[in-house]
Amino acid sequence: MFSVVTASSSLSAFPGDRAGKVAQLRAILAEKFPMVQPRANGVLATGVPEIDEVEGGLRRAALTEFSASSGAGALFIRALLRTICRERCLAALVDAGRSFDAEGAGAAGLARLLVVFSADGMQAVKATDLLLRDGNLSLVLLDMQAMPPRELQRIPANTWHRLQRLAEQTSAALVALTSQPMIEAAQVRIGTGKSWTLDTQRRWQRDVVASTAWRVFPRRVGGRRMPVWEDGHASAIA
Amino acid sequence: MFAVILLPNFRLQAALRFREEMDALPVALVDEQAPKMGVLEASSAAADAGVTAGQTTPQALARCESLVILTRSRAQERSAQSALLEMAAALSPEVEATADGFCTIGLQSSRTKDWQAMGTCAIAGLAALRLRAQIGFGPNPDLAFLAARRARPVLVVQSPTTFLADLAVQELDPAPELLALLRDWGIHNLAQLTSLPRGDLMDRLGPEAGRLWERAAGRAERPLRLVREVEEFIEEFDFEREIDTIEPLLFLLRRFLDQLALRLRQAYRVAGQMAFALPLADGSAHERIFTVPSPTADVDVLFRILHTHLEGLQLHHGATGMRLHIVPTRAERQQFQLFETPLRDPNRFGETLGRLAALVGSENVGVVHALDTHRPDCIELRPPRFHELDPAAAPGEDLAIGLPLRRFRPPIAATVRVMAHHPVWLDSERVRGEICASLGPYRASGGWWESDRWSTEEWDVEMESSGLYRLARVRDEWRVEGSYDEPSRGNRRGAGAVVAMQNGELAR
Repeated sequence: MFSVVTASSSLSAFPGDRAGKVAQLRAILAEKFPMVQPRANGVLATGVPEIDEVEGGLRRAALTEFSASSGAGALFIRALLRTICRERCLAALVDAGRSFDAEGAGAAGLARLLVVFSADGMQAVKATDLLLRDGNLSLVLLDMQAMPPRELQRIPANTWHRLQRLAEQTSAALVALTSQPMIEAAQVRIGTGKSWTLDTQRRWQRDVVASTAWRVFPRRVGGRRMPVWEDGHASAIA
Repeated sequence: MFAVILLPNFRLQAALRFREEMDALPVALVDEQAPKMGVLEASSAAADAGVTAGQTTPQALARCESLVILTRSRAQERSAQSALLEMAAALSPEVEATADGFCTIGLQSSRTKDWQAMGTCAIAGLAALRLRAQIGFGPNPDLAFLAARRARPVLVVQSPTTFLADLAVQELDPAPELLALLRDWGIHNLAQLTSLPRGDLMDRLGPEAGRLWERAAGRAERPLRLVREVEEFIEEFDFEREIDTIEPLLFLLRRFLDQLALRLRQAYRVAGQMAFALPLADGSAHERIFTVPSPTADVDVLFRILHTHLEGLQLHHGATGMRLHIVPTRAERQQFQLFETPLRDPNRFGETLGRLAALVGSENVGVVHALDTHRPDCIELRPPRFHELDPAAAPGEDLAIGLPLRRFRPPIAATVRVMAHHPVWLDSERVRGEICASLGPYRASGGWWESDRWSTEEWDVEMESSGLYRLARVRDEWRVEGSYDEPSRGNRRGAGAVVAMQNGELAR
């Protein structure tokens, strides 16, 4: 009760537009309840220049949605395998479609990757929940790109919020790979418009990653939504 | 100096170790295998009501209506004896397992000379293991034993002559005939006995009287039959009736672990493995061995491992008992690497793996391990061994070519039209249409020296309507093995999603 009165009086002391008041309210709440604020745990560099330039890498203690075609998703997983190898950390891949193929992946990366094959989406979400609660891993990948979109849409929206809240309590980066944008709770969204031809199969994979136009859309910076998110993607989330 | 640790009413104490609720009740112990022996031992409350050893069960019940009759458990006696010897071994390496419920300890090489403090410490240690003990210290094993019998709970014999003088002759457990003869002579205590000349006594009563005299004089010396320390951390319990719910098992398991963890700590050991067994009503047993990822003596950690297993356990018959055997190991001393991020809590990770295995099946959790074959998609998931990772191992050069494959498991049967040795048309339940480009064939075969021979011909194809797939022909049957890139499944027939993405927006 005391906190509410204080907050109201503080707000009235700083008249301004509505957005300003909301920002003030956020600041007051952050001051009063620091324990519910996401912890700043840094980032996990991906080695993909376009992603690392915008965010420094994957945000730890946050949910990132990777939304692109299945080929881009598989390529991104391979890039992250090299990341965990380079960073000497441990990761888990929850594969909802049992589609992960180890062919061509480096043994060093595979040795650091715990793979969980799940039968359906909800089982995958439960497995992700367990892995996040475990707190031992630096990166948890939830790959749902091979799942039918209808089954994916059956997952309640609050599930993603719960996963986001869970991730906030850890230092792990949580990445959900989907075939189309659908996770409103995601703090960052990564995508690419790239589609490939058969000529790609003759090129080095590292060159394919480097030549792909990765796009990063952080949801919040300093408590405010990025314009690109609101303008370009609000409707997609809805 | 020697010490004797004595557990009075040992068999009863062993039976009551995991029955705290019976501490204040009148309890009598009987042996089902020797029913004629009647009551073996009785608790103090039962003794107060007139129950004594040797009475038949009806006689005992006639004296005490509320008497609880317990059956002797040899398994629990073994556990209690192990706990006693472990405690003794903590005092000195020279330990003799003299009999069930007491042991003799040689303390000649002990640096500590504060016997009272040592005894008090051992009593407290055994009390934590729910064993009530008496300890006597004396200059020879027999004197130490006599002191232990009179100890409440610790007695140090400073002057053997004074200590022995007041003792009755029967304290030395002489032969009944000899005791009766001495009584006839008016010899009742040891002071009276040792006042007789030893040589004359032996001449009249034989060598046994000579040995009795030596013991009475506190001069009897004997070497200890030392036992090698066997670190056997086992707790067992037999239920009086079948148990078919998890709660009683968890309750008892927690008590087991409390006791075993104490014993481990006393021996400066930690649990490396746990062998858990539930004997079932049909005579079979459910058995499981758990490896503790990061050996520990932490009760909560060990309990969680077993709890996770019991939560998902379904048995067709009730449990008639429970057994837990802990294999001890030395505590790990792990030096964390500067640039390495090992598991912060290996035991918690082990528990998570158990939960994941219960959720998706153990065959669906683990680290990818390629089998020793060139056959495509021959992998299995094995339990991770993250603690064995070489922190200095270099990632190696990235030599992968092209897009990674997303496999369809199982592969999808397909019909393929071939022209000029190249696939030109694909029809399957997942993808259908004209193939505009293809790479291949990539042929592989193996196992020709075995009955399980295999051969495959693979093609990478690009569909006219977008999408890159891998086709395989196995025994003249085509199938779609997976995709390198595939439009969203909701938009597969059109290319709307991809077009929208190319315009810089995420798919609608």
